[in-house]
Amino acid sequence: MRGLVLLAALVAAAAGTETFVGHQVLRIIPTSDEELQKVQELQDLEELQLDFWLAPRGLGHPVDVRVPFPSLQPLKAHLEANGVSYSIMIEDVQELLDQEQMEMLRGRRQMPITTNTFNYASYHSLDEIYTFMDLLVAENPNLVSKLEIGRSTENRPLYVLKFSKGGTNRPAVWIDTGIHSREWVTQASGVWFAKQIVLDHENDKDLASVLDKMDIFLEIVTNPDGFAFTQTQNRMWRKTRSKQSGSICVGVDPNRNWDAGFGGSGASGNPCSETYHGPYANSEPEVKAIVDFVKNHGNIKAFVSIHSYSQLLLYPYGYTRTPVPDQKELHEVSAKAVAALSSLYGTNYKYGSIITTIYQASGGTIDWTYNQGIKYSFTFELRDTGRYGFLLPAKQIVPTAQETWLALKVLMLHARDHLN
Amino acid sequence: KLTEGMLNRSGPKTQPWGTPLLTGHQSDLTPFTTTLWAQPSNHFFTQRSVCPSKPRAASFGRRMLWETLSKENAGSCLATVLYRRTKSSPVVNIKCMHTKDQKQVQEEDNRLYQKIRHQTKPIIGNNIPDSYGHIEPALEPAWALAVTGSSYMMWEKSTESLGYFLAQVKSVKQWIRKDDFIEFDYTVLLHEVPTQEIISCHMRLTWLPGHPLKVKYFCASENQGLEDGSGMESGSAAGILHGKGANF
Repeated sequence: MRGLVLLAALVAAAAGTETFVGHQVLRIIPTSDEELQKVQELQDLEELQLDFWLAPRGLGHPVDVRVPFPSLQPLKAHLEANGVSYSIMIEDVQELLDQEQMEMLRGRRQMPITTNTFNYASYHSLDEIYTFMDLLVAENPNLVSKLEIGRSTENRPLYVLKFSKGGTNRPAVWIDTGIHSREWVTQASGVWFAKQIVLDHENDKDLASVLDKMDIFLEIVTNPDGFAFTQTQNRMWRKTRSKQSGSICVGVDPNRNWDAGFGGSGASGNPCSETYHGPYANSEPEVKAIVDFVKNHGNIKAFVSIHSYSQLLLYPYGYTRTPVPDQKELHEVSAKAVAALSSLYGTNYKYGSIITTIYQASGGTIDWTYNQGIKYSFTFELRDTGRYGFLLPAKQIVPTAQETWLALKVLMLHARDHLN
Repeated sequence: KLTEGMLNRSGPKTQPWGTPLLTGHQSDLTPFTTTLWAQPSNHFFTQRSVCPSKPRAASFGRRMLWETLSKENAGSCLATVLYRRTKSSPVVNIKCMHTKDQKQVQEEDNRLYQKIRHQTKPIIGNNIPDSYGHIEPALEPAWALAVTGSSYMMWEKSTESLGYFLAQVKSVKQWIRKDDFIEFDYTVLLHEVPTQEIISCHMRLTWLPGHPLKVKYFCASENQGLEDGSGMESGSAAGILHGKGANF
């Protein structure tokens, strides 16, 4: 936020309209109702030309105000006379602007510089996540590579990170997050998983043993068009952004577009519906890209598609009540995975087949992958159970990712132990 | 009394193979006086193989979990409702456990009320929580009341095949009244399952501690006119029946 304001100021300064020499930014933290009132009153003193970077919100909340040089003495005297304490956050705004300008001219952007300075406990834009991927690859070229498996409807690249210790076409684990764009904790968790694999690939014996035999593929933003739309237009957007002929409505539910019971009960034929299955299976490039990848790879052994919310671990089928042949094994592995997940923070998960645990859903991802022969096909529904739903507070991102990772490791280890 | 009233409101549908319903919410600040929300869980068939379009089950049951709102350990009631296809009255079994006494409940309600009354300006806000799950502290009381009012709305709307969650409070505007009642006008977004639709509802809510919360609402997808929330009794479900608890 401050960066933006400084930038705006810089532009103004560059245009020769404003200079901030001698301006200071003061911080006031009101601790009593009187103090708060005094600070609120400052907002009405137009002649001081105060610029509130953080407006008064309430007791204990910092108030940041940029004070033009001529107003400094009067304002400070006023504050001191009224017993309002303050600190000087920025001694000279112009100096800071000059510094920033130098940095900008050196070509550095407001992006994270390394994956160590990346903030995993906050939600990021598509650009920031794509930048993160490139940084991760650049920092770990022997372990991580980035593949483009296709393009979205709006021509955004579909990137998959590959984690591999070598070999050729090793058996692999696939993990995708963000197929439904409004489920923000999933993309955020995907970013965290990527970093975690890099951090732990040698010292965590479980992960190391998985990577000794298998590759891990991770698609963090599986639906980038939808994701961009949730950032700019509609936070609650779920589907892709493909135009539907004969309708004003946009988008297909990418988790109803797979060729497994496609078009059956558990999806909608109405383009305006959130569960619209699309005109035909794999009509969505986001889905087709994964289908092609899986078929071409031919050696994927475990497939995990991550959603939110509800706190569930699910295995096929969603489109039919017929249990999968491997039901018993998948149920047992799920129990172990959920136990591992809960062990960290006590988060409660239920598990079972899609149709018996939530509802009938046709054309779903893991029904298709299972029918392709990928036995260990699972879907997660991450935190929470409805308190915040899609709008999960950022401070829950890391705990969610941490506990989910424990469950993922159980699944990956099981797959590794059952390679034939 | 209240329980039976709510049961009578909606009878069984003919297609029970739809979905489990999850409705409801819990918040630290929601007033105790607003009563119940329903969290029906998985329906189950008594017969093993059922063709979805022509259920041959002789009966099906649906568990519904009703809990009092607000803080954890305020108290909870668990109700089993068994609908029979024979259309006789559903069999209800309720077990309640109170862990907080009325006095404490009242005090907390009053604190919330005072918090709202002491605002110097009418409360106005948008996007609560925001995209990042953050709720401005100044808007928490208004949000808490929205949760309460919405839970009533969601209870009314939910059926055997449709359930709801409160996705977001899109906007809130406080109406200052001459009397002591607190009044808020909301636009809320409901997340509907299993359709996954986001339903926009307009909700008008009035409250005074010790009085039933009054909720009037209109949801965009509906064709009906303004729906009246009937006044709700204070405290938890009226008539604490200690029946034989079913196994859950």
